[in-house]
Amino acid sequence: MANLLSRFFSSPSLVFTAAYFLRAVLLVYGLWQDANSPLKYTDIDYLVFTDAARSPYDRETYRYTPLLAYLLWPTTPAASASLPGPRELWASWGKILFAAADLAAGYLLVAVLRRHRGLSGPRALRYVGAIWLLNPMVATISTRGSSEGLLGVLVAALLWAVLERRVVLAGVLLGFGVHFKIYPFIYAPAIVWWMDAERMGRGVGGKSHGSHGLLEKLHRFVTPERVTLALVSLATFAALNLAMYALYGHDFLQHTFLHHVTRIDHRHNFSPYNVLLYLASAAQQSGGFKIESVAFVPQLLLSVVLIPLVGAKKDLAATMLAQTFAFVTFNKVCTSQYFLWYMVFLPLYLPNSSLTRHPRLGLAALGLWIAAQAAWLQQGYELEFLGRSTFVPGLWWASLAFFLVNCWILGLIINDLGTTSSTTSTSAEAKGVAVAPAPAPPSSSSRPSETSPDWGFDWTDLDDPTR
Amino acid sequence: MRQRTTFFHRNEDAIDPASLKVSGRTLSGPDIKAVREDRFTLGLDELPAELQELLRLSQELYIRWTSPVPYQAVGPWSSRLSPGLHVFYTPQADTGANVASAHELCLLLRRLGPVDCSSPQPVYDLTDFVEYAVQYVCASSDAECKTRFGAVKQASSLDFSYDTISHVVKVTALWGRQDQSLSISAPASHRVEVGLLTPNQPPHLEEHEIGVTGLLTVLGEDSKPAPTMFTFPSRHKQAGTGFSSKFLTPTGLHPTMQLDIKSKSNRPPMEDSACALHALVTLPRTIFADKYQLEDPLFLASKNLTALRYISQPVDLEAPDYVMDIWGSSVLLELNTPVTESKEGFTAEIPLHLRYQAPQHGGESTYGVPYPAVFWACAAEEGTKFPSSPFDRINLGYDGLFGPRTLFWHLDPVTKSAGDQLVIEGKVPVLDLDKSRSINTVTSIVVVVGFAWVVYRLLMVYLRTGHGVAQPVKVTEKKQQ
Repeated sequence: MANLLSRFFSSPSLVFTAAYFLRAVLLVYGLWQDANSPLKYTDIDYLVFTDAARSPYDRETYRYTPLLAYLLWPTTPAASASLPGPRELWASWGKILFAAADLAAGYLLVAVLRRHRGLSGPRALRYVGAIWLLNPMVATISTRGSSEGLLGVLVAALLWAVLERRVVLAGVLLGFGVHFKIYPFIYAPAIVWWMDAERMGRGVGGKSHGSHGLLEKLHRFVTPERVTLALVSLATFAALNLAMYALYGHDFLQHTFLHHVTRIDHRHNFSPYNVLLYLASAAQQSGGFKIESVAFVPQLLLSVVLIPLVGAKKDLAATMLAQTFAFVTFNKVCTSQYFLWYMVFLPLYLPNSSLTRHPRLGLAALGLWIAAQAAWLQQGYELEFLGRSTFVPGLWWASLAFFLVNCWILGLIINDLGTTSSTTSTSAEAKGVAVAPAPAPPSSSSRPSETSPDWGFDWTDLDDPTR
Repeated sequence: MRQRTTFFHRNEDAIDPASLKVSGRTLSGPDIKAVREDRFTLGLDELPAELQELLRLSQELYIRWTSPVPYQAVGPWSSRLSPGLHVFYTPQADTGANVASAHELCLLLRRLGPVDCSSPQPVYDLTDFVEYAVQYVCASSDAECKTRFGAVKQASSLDFSYDTISHVVKVTALWGRQDQSLSISAPASHRVEVGLLTPNQPPHLEEHEIGVTGLLTVLGEDSKPAPTMFTFPSRHKQAGTGFSSKFLTPTGLHPTMQLDIKSKSNRPPMEDSACALHALVTLPRTIFADKYQLEDPLFLASKNLTALRYISQPVDLEAPDYVMDIWGSSVLLELNTPVTESKEGFTAEIPLHLRYQAPQHGGESTYGVPYPAVFWACAAEEGTKFPSSPFDRINLGYDGLFGPRTLFWHLDPVTKSAGDQLVIEGKVPVLDLDKSRSINTVTSIVVVVGFAWVVYRLLMVYLRTGHGVAQPVKVTEKKQQ
């Protein structure tokens, strides 16, 4: 059995084919369920997107960039009439796109693991396969028509581009990502901090004596790569926004950006602030200290300043994971689709993490993460469907417990930043040495097939995804 | 001012015409079991100044109020509406008048009950309005006037209609079928016409017509009631069956309103005509229907619904109750009538969603949803005309949504037990203020503790390795391999 599994994970074509079929089966099953049951498989958001594809802001609750609506143009009745092939196929175009984005993200993750974190192909595949490609939660979310998969590939591509020193591409992806969903802006400081002259292969340049003046430090900080990244990402972001503003005017600003400023967030969700926000939104008078009005302070301090500062140069991928984790944990709204935002980084972090080095710790973290959610969901069910007022203490305690569990896990991830062993390739890169996929030392002697190639396509195909 | 009072009774409730006495400006007789309608037609100058001011700025104003107390309809007054207050209003085209008249209207509506334009509540009781009207109309010594107006509190419906074309105001009060005292006096100031009518089936009566026969008296002019018989077209008729409404339990935050359509109603009332059963649901803003959810044919069919035909806009699918300033919404649904030979009747379910309510002590808030109006809409024969009938109500909120040749066959709302009102009640869970005192403090502490822990971990990493590249893994950590 173990032998069979390791043979399976040593073949990229097998894993990707399995991931493809998992999504294909779910997609077809979803079509069947939608056609035969009043309970729909398709996510309500997908109907919002495809409605918006006709004319973005005519659809209520469409809060995304019109670009997403454009991407889904083939789902509109007008489009599918003019496109070849059956209507049903084009109506599922968005789901196919999101599922394909999943696979593409998985491909990039494998590439990053192999080229920049020194994992062997089978080992990389095992992590990406188990956590992303073959994870039923990920496959279900994209085949139900939720656009988070697109974000996954975008963020994975951003990380890949940065690690590959493709600065212009990284800038474009960053600008686009922020335009698409705002939150990827938190990655900007981490990437900028990581991109120092040494790492970009410029050497230290005239290694000057001991103490540097502030001006010199600043001068050393402003490298051509950092300037390029800033200019390209800002230009991309600004150009997209100006174009969308020119086309949709205030509707675009209101629904894509301002909505997130003015929303009340009173409905129950996983955020520790949610009951407090509900209470505060209905309160007439104000007075005293209000933590919710400064909720962005711990959130941004962690995800934009402290975590990048301490972690980015040590391990960019794990830092981005910690940033996203902090952003989601300390956010004023939190729903399960947000978990996908950090899940995409897990395959990159876990191979060298304390969670896998100490399986008991890992299982405890996973168990607590699930248990706190389950407690919340149970209370939420009683509220939503049985009509019991479980806001206090049930939902409130559950959301606070979930928050504390998340803080603890975040602490573990951060702690690993100081002890991570992912430096094999980073140190090699820092010397400007061409990076060859370094086979990782086999972590256990019970995996002989790791070295016996049985793949449909060669590992070298994965080395350069741009090929 | 002119007044027309009509008693409409069933054939079996007839009284002996000889028992009616007309003396001077008074008509009297024995009590009669009938529906009574009083209609007053007034010129603008006969109205209170604030109302005159409003109407000058209005193009149309129709106010329809229906009592939550069930009543039996007889004759031409079979049209139904959800209990509560319905206001249909068109300002003058001039935009300046628009704002001003909306303000005037809001002021006026406060006379009708707890109606604030910024947070309207359903109006199920006319006490406030009657007090206002008595103050304005009746002299302080006029006891009879006060009694007469006091009776409006028991009215089954009250209509107010004004449009710039007719330039008159019509106010109509209706009392459902019950024992009515037959004693009407006409004040010297205005003309009063009294009718005592009962259904009549002359040969060749068309399906869209109502035939009546009875006695008419103009007080002060006629010395005795004059017999009469006539037919007129009527858009509203009784389907002869009923329905009841309730919430399925548990209601949760997504209550389902179930309509229990009584027997026979799965057959259209007219043969050879396109008929469809409809429900017009009037919802206070606490609760709403999601038009997107009501798009899927399979989902609709599973609820015995055919389609969503109309929904008032805007609805807002997200906002909590306490930040909204709209009154609510109305939804017109076509029901799917199962084709069966049985006469069992059937149920249809309307999925609804509750908004978050403001936190309360006790953790629970109640809301009421009035019974919908349920009717068959049938297309009358080609070429049928509906000239304005002396009794038909117009502008009910749904008649304008159908073609001009549509006939409405109304189902009677039936309550579960006698004495119940035509409002179904529900409870919505809210945040319990009794348990909320520590929320601010505890949440703040927990957030600060969580934040501090993460910062502590960051600090430890920073002190160990700085902000630069990490050190290689210590040997001790590899030991377990």
